[in-house]
Amino acid sequence: MLRGFFRQDAPTGGGRAGVDEDPLRACMQLERFGVIVTRGERWRAHPDYENVFQAALDAIDQRFSLVPEGFVSMPTTVTDEPGCPETDHETEPFLLARTCVTNAQYQKFVDAGSYEDLEIWPESIWPHLIGFQDQTGKAGPRFWRGGRHDEAKGDHPVVGICAYEAATYANWAGFRLPTEAEWQMAASWRIRTSAHVFRRYPWGDSHDPRRCNTWASGRGGTVPVGTYTEGAAPNGVLQLIGNVWEWTASDLEMTDDKGRPVVGDMLLKAIRGGAFDTYFSCQATSHFRTGLACLARAHNVGFRCVLDAGRRDG
Amino acid sequence: MGWMQADSGDPQLRCLICEALNTMDVVVCAECSAPMALVHDSVTQGRAPQIISVLGDSNVGKTVYLGFLLDMLSQRANEFEAIPKGAYSVDLQQNVVASMTQRQFPAKTAMEPDRWNWAYYQARKSGGRRSKWYDLVMPDLAGESLAAEIANPATYRVIRSLLTKSAGAMLLVDAALAANGATRPDFFALKMMSYIDSLFQTKRDAKVQTPIAIVLCKADHCPESFDDTRRFVQGSLNRLWNLCESRFQTVEYFACSSVGSLAYATGADDDGLDFARPIPLHTSLQGILEPFEWLISRM
Repeated sequence: MLRGFFRQDAPTGGGRAGVDEDPLRACMQLERFGVIVTRGERWRAHPDYENVFQAALDAIDQRFSLVPEGFVSMPTTVTDEPGCPETDHETEPFLLARTCVTNAQYQKFVDAGSYEDLEIWPESIWPHLIGFQDQTGKAGPRFWRGGRHDEAKGDHPVVGICAYEAATYANWAGFRLPTEAEWQMAASWRIRTSAHVFRRYPWGDSHDPRRCNTWASGRGGTVPVGTYTEGAAPNGVLQLIGNVWEWTASDLEMTDDKGRPVVGDMLLKAIRGGAFDTYFSCQATSHFRTGLACLARAHNVGFRCVLDAGRRDG
Repeated sequence: MGWMQADSGDPQLRCLICEALNTMDVVVCAECSAPMALVHDSVTQGRAPQIISVLGDSNVGKTVYLGFLLDMLSQRANEFEAIPKGAYSVDLQQNVVASMTQRQFPAKTAMEPDRWNWAYYQARKSGGRRSKWYDLVMPDLAGESLAAEIANPATYRVIRSLLTKSAGAMLLVDAALAANGATRPDFFALKMMSYIDSLFQTKRDAKVQTPIAIVLCKADHCPESFDDTRRFVQGSLNRLWNLCESRFQTVEYFACSSVGSLAYATGADDDGLDFARPIPLHTSLQGILEPFEWLISRM
């Protein structure tokens, strides 16, 4: 019955105004590089396959950075003090997007009719899809109008999207969201060497409002994803700290000091990194853990994508 | 200056709030329990401070709001300069910051006036030598005390004296409860504003001139209150809206939030009883300064 609420005549990737009719070229046009690289086997016989495949690889090379294997320790209680209980997690190498997904990038997802394409959404979310609207009632992020983003903020991180919108975009583009451990690995750079190096921030161990957009920097809002280059991680990934919190694929699992589970009114998904309005610098670090209701469409939460290293067709 | 009065050779000080005479060595006013340090500091300044009353029901978030406001002013947010007068003025913001960084809400404000936190600040908006300094006193009142005073006037004389002397007021309302259809926020606000109206006893058809900022707290639970605050008040706090439109000349509506995500530690307490302790997972400050900025521009 739910299918009747949504149009079924606009498959993602083709048939929309301005989008190439050819599915392979449409994927390139819509910046679904991960789909081309990891699921492109079906187009091997396409006359442009080699060129498009290489172009997608080049785009990924430009937009993603390698995070080497490592391990992280995550506190398990809400009181994050030295000596508090922790769990250790090992991470495999992976490719992490250097910037959060922007409004301009997300616009392609919206313009492709993705909000009407039930097939790309988890079935459990179908009843909620109708609520994923902007200020004018069009399908899209909460703060957009008329199905469009503010043109002046095309290069800002997209916000006003819940965890499911973030995950669905990532999957649509051929990527995924990072796990909490992967995100922390990228921000703390705790690689396996003889020296146990653990960075409190991607750039080092001291908070510096000149290197990240938090409340202390005085911006009062999001900034373009390519700024604050001085706060980059060693592999060039930008703004892991500040600007917007970032959705991860992980559920938030924490307890209080007496071992009682910490829960929300609905499922809490882990978010990391702090945002432009994060007041306490101790809450914008590589290891600070927090969460948000999975369906919350907050003004200060965005996301970035991950591609498993070495995962490709062709 | 009118605060000191020599009588039979014993110098005395007049309380800043209720104007009762007290001996020089008392710490709190014998009549209303307001700290006498306020008088000493105002004598030092050479002028009486302006009082901003922060009002609201129990558990609406007055302590957290005021603590963050004072801390933000101390850190020169939005080009404000703010200087605490006396170490006691810093207690409130220190308490709130310490609690929230530990992911705990501060303890409930005690009902006894001598246990309230009083903040005395000098503040101004940066803008050169001509920008005006404001001497401000902002006490953190207990919601239960306010409710008791509204129900039985003169139960807490300090509240009556405070409001009568206030140059401006903020009325904090629980937006989350209102959005869920609870009527308590609307009725408390209605009673509070009616009490204020009766204090000033204006002539028929004349409105109360004291500027009042209606601040919707916990607005993160109902994002639509940020999108169109007036519409939200009109829809979810209609009694308050109607009274403000009828009896108050200078009212503005604001939405604010300090908690980015709220969770609960669930389980059994030490007595084996089920409970759910609220935990502020992280801060996300929205709309904290705007009511204050508006208010002092109208004072």
